[in-house]
Amino acid sequence: MNALYRLSTALLYTLFFIPLSWADGIPVDKVYSPYVLANERELEWRFTSRQNDDGNVLAQRLAYGHALSEYLTIEAYIVGERDDTGDFGLQAFEIETRWMLTEQGEFWADWGALFELEKQHKEDIYEFTSGILFEKEFTQTSLTINALLVYEWGKDIEDEFETEFRLKYRYRYLAALQPSIEIYTGEDFVGVGPGFMGVHRYTGQKQLKWELAFIAGLNGDSKDHTLRFALEYEF
Amino acid sequence: MHKWLGYIPLSLGTLCVLGCFPVLAAVTEYHVQLKDHLFFPSRITIPANQKVKLIIENQDNTPEEFDSFSLNREKVIFANQKATIFIGPLQPGEYNFFGEYNPNTARGAVIVERQKLKMPNAH
Repeated sequence: MNALYRLSTALLYTLFFIPLSWADGIPVDKVYSPYVLANERELEWRFTSRQNDDGNVLAQRLAYGHALSEYLTIEAYIVGERDDTGDFGLQAFEIETRWMLTEQGEFWADWGALFELEKQHKEDIYEFTSGILFEKEFTQTSLTINALLVYEWGKDIEDEFETEFRLKYRYRYLAALQPSIEIYTGEDFVGVGPGFMGVHRYTGQKQLKWELAFIAGLNGDSKDHTLRFALEYEF
Repeated sequence: MHKWLGYIPLSLGTLCVLGCFPVLAAVTEYHVQLKDHLFFPSRITIPANQKVKLIIENQDNTPEEFDSFSLNREKVIFANQKATIFIGPLQPGEYNFFGEYNPNTARGAVIVERQKLKMPNAH
């Protein structure tokens, strides 16, 4: 088990030190928790709107996820984005898997791994993301960190490695309302802002989770705001 | 962009690395049975500021999901199997939990108490 920690530590440290470019696209997205719940299935809708001096970028994702075991879950996405001409259409397909590496609360912090493969619909562009997911409880608060390494390749893009960093510090005030601070870094982007999430339980394993965050870019641009919203129905 | 902003992930990464190794101290075990969709015992008293291990044995023929917002834990306990849930260190208080599939019957609480110091014998 110690080897696993050393490996994840080395990966995390490498992500922060190697000189890579930041990731493309909208860097504000979900901050993944490392936990997987057995038997869980989910339907998810994510909405992200970024407004800066260049205009508005709108992206929506629809996903279906299924836990394959107590430690592994898989999720398939259809991604839609508004293009340069203002038309909203299918942009990409994505498959994602999350692996819970440690039992929650067993060690000083909880660890997971994330792997994503994305293919652009109309272009020969592929993207493979791998990363470390971290979460640590401090009494009634939780710190979640994602450190991601992205590799892009294809005929329509120059092959390159990129990095992304996401952080959420959440106060577990009530199940229905949990305020947080979120920080993101991506390609020429550093953003910070408030977030909120909540859970509404139905019978059995059914529950509805929502997340909302408003991230202000600190890039020096006169305007750079991102609104993200997500709904997740677990059953 | 402010140059110092680039150091945020570096600093946070360093903090994470410094504290990511497991704590190797022994963890006290507490055993709980789940039978007929009831937890036995339904109230478990543990010491404050200590990590403990709950081992829940599901003796029913159906799965159950241990759920507690205050303990920040969710875990499926498969039929006729055991599940391990690590909780703590916690502040003194009462932390409720329930079974998501049978929330009316499968209910319980973890009672966290401050340990009393042993007084030396007065002879």
